[in-house]
Order: sequence, then C-alpha cells, then structure tokens
Amino acid sequence: MSSIYHGEDRIPVPPADAERFTTVCSYCIVGCGYKVYKWPLGKEGGPLPHQNALRADYRTQQPEQAGTWISPAMHSVVTERNGRRFNIVVLPDKDCVVNKGNHSIRGGTHGDVLYAPDRPTADRLTHPLLYRGHSRLPTTWDEAIELGARVIKATLDRSGPDAVAMKCFDHGGGGGGFENNWAVGSFFFTGIGTKMASIHNRPAYNSEVFASGDAGIAPLPSAYLDAELADTIVLIGANSHETQSIYFLEHMLPNLGGGTLALKQQLLPGEPHARGKMIIVDPRRTSTVAVAEAHAGKDNVLHLQINNGTDIALLNALSRLIHEQGWHDQDFISRRTNNFSVFQQANLAQSLDEAVRLTGISKVRMMQAAEWIAKPKTSAARRRTLFLYEKGLIWGLKNYENVAAVNDLALLTGSLGKPGTGCGRLGGHQEGYSRPPYPGQRPPINVDEVAVKGGASKVFWVAGCNPVGGTLNAQAFRASLAQRTALVNQALDATSSGTLDDKVAAVMSALDKGGLFLIVQDIYPTETAQYAHLVLPAAQWGEMNLTSINGERRLRLYQKFMDAPGIAEPDWKIMARMAQRLESAYRAEGKAEMAARFSGFTWTSDEDVFRAAAAGVKGAQEDYGDTTYAMLKALGTNGVQTPVQEIQNGMPVGTTRLYMDEKRFTFIPSAWPGFPSQIQALMNDSRYPFWVNNGRANHGWQTLYDDARKPYVMGRAPFPHVEIHPQDARSLEIANGDLIELFNPYGSVSAMAVVTDSNAPGHVFMLFEHPKGWLNSLTTDYVDPTTTIPYYKGTKAGIRKIGPMPGLNEDLTFVPTHQA
Amino acid sequence: MSEVSRRHFLQLGACVVGGACAADALPSLAHAAEGGDITTLRTTLPYPRVKLASIGQLTVGREQLTTYPDQASPVVLAKLGRPAINGVGPDRDIVAFSRRCSHMGGTLSFRPDTATFHCPLHYAFFDAQKGGLLVIGQATDNLPQLELEVDAAGDIFAVGIRGLLYGRQTNVLA
Repeated sequence: MSSIYHGEDRIPVPPADAERFTTVCSYCIVGCGYKVYKWPLGKEGGPLPHQNALRADYRTQQPEQAGTWISPAMHSVVTERNGRRFNIVVLPDKDCVVNKGNHSIRGGTHGDVLYAPDRPTADRLTHPLLYRGHSRLPTTWDEAIELGARVIKATLDRSGPDAVAMKCFDHGGGGGGFENNWAVGSFFFTGIGTKMASIHNRPAYNSEVFASGDAGIAPLPSAYLDAELADTIVLIGANSHETQSIYFLEHMLPNLGGGTLALKQQLLPGEPHARGKMIIVDPRRTSTVAVAEAHAGKDNVLHLQINNGTDIALLNALSRLIHEQGWHDQDFISRRTNNFSVFQQANLAQSLDEAVRLTGISKVRMMQAAEWIAKPKTSAARRRTLFLYEKGLIWGLKNYENVAAVNDLALLTGSLGKPGTGCGRLGGHQEGYSRPPYPGQRPPINVDEVAVKGGASKVFWVAGCNPVGGTLNAQAFRASLAQRTALVNQALDATSSGTLDDKVAAVMSALDKGGLFLIVQDIYPTETAQYAHLVLPAAQWGEMNLTSINGERRLRLYQKFMDAPGIAEPDWKIMARMAQRLESAYRAEGKAEMAARFSGFTWTSDEDVFRAAAAGVKGAQEDYGDTTYAMLKALGTNGVQTPVQEIQNGMPVGTTRLYMDEKRFTFIPSAWPGFPSQIQALMNDSRYPFWVNNGRANHGWQTLYDDARKPYVMGRAPFPHVEIHPQDARSLEIANGDLIELFNPYGSVSAMAVVTDSNAPGHVFMLFEHPKGWLNSLTTDYVDPTTTIPYYKGTKAGIRKIGPMPGLNEDLTFVPTHQA
Repeated sequence: MSEVSRRHFLQLGACVVGGACAADALPSLAHAAEGGDITTLRTTLPYPRVKLASIGQLTVGREQLTTYPDQASPVVLAKLGRPAINGVGPDRDIVAFSRRCSHMGGTLSFRPDTATFHCPLHYAFFDAQKGGLLVIGQATDNLPQLELEVDAAGDIFAVGIRGLLYGRQTNVLA
C-alpha cells in the first residue's frame, strides 16, 4: 500500500456563480497567475458547461493541458471567522502570460496550505502568545502589544536604537509584498532607527547584489521573453527546473527545442536564428541539466561541472578567452561602459592554467562556452546571450566579486538592453521591497555576530523567517539564542504578582544581565518561535490584499479571498499597532520628537500602505508610480511590468526590458580571491574530507514552512536528503535511505542518503533547509567582508553512517533525478 | 515490502529522528491522516470490475495497454519483475496505472529498466514500484494507481482507482 498520496477520486467543481478572485503564486520569483474560486460548502457546480464556473463539460474527459482540471491539492474547505465554511479552488490561470495554465508542484498545492482547522494547517498561529511560566500561552492583542511596546521603549530609552535588533522578511509573494515591507521598514528605520537589522536569509541588511548595483545594473533587467529570443542562455548556480520551474519549462525549454524560431524571425529579422543553446555552471549534474539535454539534445547543452567556490576564476577565464579571440563588443564597451582598463588588469589577468586547475573544467570546454557566449553569428550579428544567476553564485565563495565577474562578462559581450540578452538574477522569492533607507553603512553590521551572539542588542524581533535553521553557522546561533532567551524566561518565571509592571521589570533586569527578549511574528509556530517570549500571529497570502513583482518585474494584485485564522493580522497592521502604542507613550511623556518618529502609521487599508510605499521605490526597478489597486485589479494576472513610465488613459504603462536607452555601466574589478581561512582550515583537515554543497529541491519551498503541512510533500521527503557518490557510499557502506550524520567543528546534522553520481566523488549535496535537519549547522561563520553575505554554498564535513531506517524509507523513491 | 500506512508513516515522520526538531514546532500531520482513513480505497463511485489480463499473459518489463474505467481513460498494466507497493500476483509485482500524467495530462511512456513512467510535456516521472510516487516533476499527486484483484484462475481485474484521474472531476464519468 502506498502511503503517500492524496486519495481523493472525486473533486467538487465551482458552480457558475462562485466568487472569483485573481492572485499570483505565493512562492517563487516566477509568479505564476492563479484564479481563485470560492463558494459555500454544501453546494457544487454541475458537469454541464453552464453549470460550472470553468464552463467545462465534465461529462467527458478533458484534453491534455486543458486548464480545466482541478487536482485535489488545489482544493480545500475553509472556515471563516463567522463560522461559515467555503470551498476554495486555487487554479493555474491559462490566460496568464507567465505560466499559460502551467504550475509547479509548489504552486499547484495551494489548496493544502489554506488555513483549515481540520487539516495540517490547523497549527497556524491564531492568537498572540506570551511566555508564562513554562510555555507560550494565548493572550490578547492589547496585552501583547502593551508588553512588547513597554520592553521596546524601555530598551530604546536606556540603551539606544541599536539595542533593538530585527531579522525580517523583505520579499514579495506570500506574506511579504510592498505593503508589509513598507510597514516593517517604517517601524524599524524611521521609528526605532536601528542599524542592527538583517534580512530573513542572511546576517545583515544588505543587497545580495551590491556589485550589480555598483555596476549600474538592476537585479532583474530582462523579460521572460528574452529567454525565448536568446541564442544562448547561461545559467550560473541555478537549478531552474526545480526552483524557477515554470520560467524554465514555459520560456527557456521552448527556445532550446526550436519552438520559438518563428517568434525570433518575426521580432528579430535580418540575422540568422537557430534553436537556443544552454550553458549550465553547477558543481552538480542537476535535473535542469538532464531535462535541458532531453529537450534540446546533448549538443545544445554544455554543463560546466565546476569545483565548489571557483566561479570567479571560471568567469574571468571566459572573459579572457573571449577578449583574446576578439569576440568582445567593442562598440558597446566604448559607448556604454566605464572602467574597462581596471577590468582588464584585474579580470583578464586570470591565468588560464590556474582557472583549469581551480575549476576542474578543461580549456576545451571553456573555449566552447566562450564560443556559445560571444562568437558573432555573422560579421554584422552578435550572439544574443542571456546571463541568469542565482544562489550558487550569490552565496558562493565571495559574493561581491562573484556577482561582479558575471556582470563584467555581460558588459564585455554587450549583453544588456537588447532583445534576447540580459544579466540578472533568476531570483528566489518574489520581490516587493519598499522601505525608508537603512540607517547603517556598507559593509553592513553582522547582526548574528554583533547583536545576538555578541550581546549588543537586547530585543530581537524576528518576522517571517526561521533563523535557528536558516542562518549561517546555525548551531552557534541556536546556542546563543537559547542561553540569552533563557535568562528572560527565568526572570519571568520568578515573578509572581502577575502585573505587567512586574513582568516588564523582570524582563528589563534580565536584559541587563545579558538576556535577550525575543519577539517572533509569523504564520506558524516556527522552530525560532520555540525560544520566543512574545509570538505575534500574522496573516498570510490570500488573507490580505498584497502586491509584488516577479522575476521580469511584473506587478500584480494578490487579492484577499479568505479570513486570517483567529485574530491574526497582516504584518503591516501589527507594525502599525506597535508604532501607535509607542507614539502615544512618547506623547504622554511629552517627547514630541520621539513620538513623531512613530507617527504616520495611520493607514486604514492595504491600499493605503501600497500608496505610501510608492515613495520607497521611486526611480528603482520596482517603481510603480501612481498605479492603484483598481488598475491592477483590471489588469488581472498579467499586471504591468515595472518601472511604470506613466499612467495613460487611466492605466499604467510599463517597461518590458530595462536599458533600451543609452545608460552607461561600470566594470567592477573582480580578481580570484582564494579561499578564506575558515574554509582553508577545513580543507587542510583530513577529518572533513567532503565538500558539502547544498540547494533546494523541486517539491519544497524555502524552509518548508508550508510544505511541512503538505502531507504529500512531507510523506515523500520525511528527512533532508544528501546526494552522495556511489564510490563514497561504498567506502562508507552507505545505502539509499540510510540515516547519516555530517559533522565538522561548527556542528552536526543528520540526513537521509541518496546514492547517485550527480556529484563528483568527494562532493555531496544536501537539501538546504528541512525541519528534520538544518544544513546550516555545518556552514562556517565566514561572510564576504565587502557585503556581509555568507558562503552558504560551501563547507566541508566528515560523514558517518548511522544506519537504515526501516519503516521510513520503503515507500520513498530513489530513482535518480539527474536523468530525464 | 512492508506496507506502512500513511497514518503510521506520518506519525513516525513527525518527530522520531532529528535533534533539531522541537516537538511542539511541528504540524500535526498524523492528525490530518486520522480525519479520513486512506489506507484502503474508499469511494462511493460505481467502479466497474473489468478483466484486464491473465497472469500468464504478462512478461516482465513488457507493458500492456488498455483502458479503465472507460474507453476514454488509457491505463497501463505491467509486471515489474520486482515487488511493488500494491503489487498483485505471486511475485507482488503486477501493477497498473493511468497513462495520463497527473500534472497536465501528457501521455506517459514506460521505462522497464527503472520501472518509471515518463511524461513528454514537462518531464515529470513516476515510480511504478512505489505506488506511482512522483520522482520529480510538477504533478501534485501520485500517478493514479488501479486497485487490482486476482482470482483463482489467475485473471487480473481492475476494481477501482486510487487518486483522481487527470482531466476528470470524478473518476467514473456521469
């Protein structure tokens, strides 16, 4: 008996009069469009076209890719605050140009993650929780805000703004969006004024692409159309089949298969066209490599299986080869770039022999890549090359130079501001960043080290992230969090009068002794919340209106279609409530200047915050100008691509692709820097022979916060997995499904072995985040000193077999995923 | 092959292993599974009982194409040569599945060496030995598996389907 499946053999269809909403996937950067149908429980549509909202004839089999099939994971029954129950269907939208009705396993399972008291989402946070005695117990908003505001105010007054630290979401999509980000930024930067700020997946308040900004290149300059028009797509540190699935399947693959030739000829006449080629830079043979080869033929796909951390040497070697062949775009370099001579001295000096030795990639393969990137098609027609990079590069050896080196290669080859070209991030989550400026400097402060472990901050507010597993060197982070929050617990345990005054006094005395007051704001009781004193329940996607952009800057309205559970509130409302309490407290003391810092949180609707947040994106790639919710509602799942240039006839006019003008860019020197001392030490220690790479998997999203509530996902992946080469598995006597332990001086973690030759011997790949094993227990404390971005993607470890797990692994599949 | 029920599985999965896991941090997946017993097929649909083949007609690695529960639903019957979840016959290795991908309905092809079904549309594939579990791809559920019975004469009958067939609101059309 298979243990892992939904089980339904019938699904209700929405009746013709079902309520309809439009939204966008809550997960990855691609932002597929979805339609939502909602109708009362006890009613359902009939099989005839006029009897159901999809106008489908369900008496007959629907053809393939019909867009009218509702899988069981797309349906749920929810309970609203007034007790009324509704069916909800979240269906991929055939009319959305991003996904054309397609969906990933992640987006296709939204039915499973809607709050329902009789489903695994029943553990959503419904009420604020306060640490009392031994655990976190429900309380009112008034009490939660009052206690939080008093502790924050006392800390701010006694120790200044940097005594209040935060680690918050900054993203678009589920739970984020321009609305919530603006409120968070206004609270911490305008109100508190702290420099001890950090972004959800990293220890500081930084851009992941500072180098790109310095070069004058926005992170998302191209359109998905460019992947259909490119002669060559270069993926660097990205496993797009599994992490930007629908961009890969709907826009990249068709080009590789020749399916966009007619479009190329139509839009780009006067030059030769062929099916697209793809170069993939990755230490692992991923499913992306396998699927690209299956679709395009091996001759059209070049996998550069690079040694961990050596991207800069490879990218500079490619630049050098291209320059030596004279394939660079001299006209573009002269007209549109600065600083070429510095780039020449730094990047083009890369020795080819050293690059071969470091990267493990032969000169022949490098030369082939150089040809595919830059060898002109004819004397008059340059190749159109689209460079797309993500975490493998961003979280690689040295963030700043890693990103600079690929931007430099794009500038060298004139790959910006032309159809079929570009150089940008693929993206992880969607974007919805709008905040007042961060008060700190570059390089930003390492909040994990200084504020948390170092004790510089006394209050720590964590929102929409789970750093006890997600941050670097996580075992040390957990140890510090446990020790410091326990001091506050003990002080609270020792108070007996039960008044708020006593509680605040107890907390403050504990903070004086090195304690840390932890506020966690989230939708679920995360592992980080297990250390919290105050837990604030937030609304998620679908429970408020929000706006975000996708990886081609497509701005859309994600409509509210159901209530948040219990008394949970959107993040912006929680921030506003706390700010208003602080404002009134300062006003009562006659401190007008402090009160003014917390004023302005008077929004009464999601759209009020959206309009306020327009100030924070002015001039940026996200600039949405005077766009309103009504306009976005009318534009549905296709929205408008920012920056919005003007409002014409009541509708926003967007921008398909950036840099079609004469904007100038700057080469950023980025020579190979060598390995940092922490990694060198591991490399020189025979107890830690394995390079540990890591990344995401197709079936899961981020920390698996939602997936942990999807039985089908957790059933098939009850543990994080580690891909290990058969040769290494043999010497350690490890078989598929065995539990193994990875360890190094920074920590240890257990995981399930998957024996596959996707990596070279001596190199393993582990799932980045999973509640049953956090890879980051193994990452070092090293960050790029220029940007404070960690080298998450590389560490070294020893491996020990624990043993087989009978009862857990028989039903799982171990068929290799790097063949298609 | 042990037959671990989903309920048992998810309870085990909830916190048996893994030092990093805080018990109260994890959702109650076991609770969800208790809501409806899905360890055996339960349905109100009138599935027909249809003879698909006789055990003697099957050879290892050779698929047999037919339809179930009606002509518009292509299915594949295969003897895998290795025990399979829900497998029938003396070697517990005879299984049958829908041939329509549970992502968007592409027609699947069978690869006997890995006992997998592959979709040409978006490269999803499914493990025939593991109840049609998605190996990788964008489907949101297993490949629907036929419930099989073998009678004393060695005839194999389909009697039901686990999972919703692609392109249908109900497995047995109105």
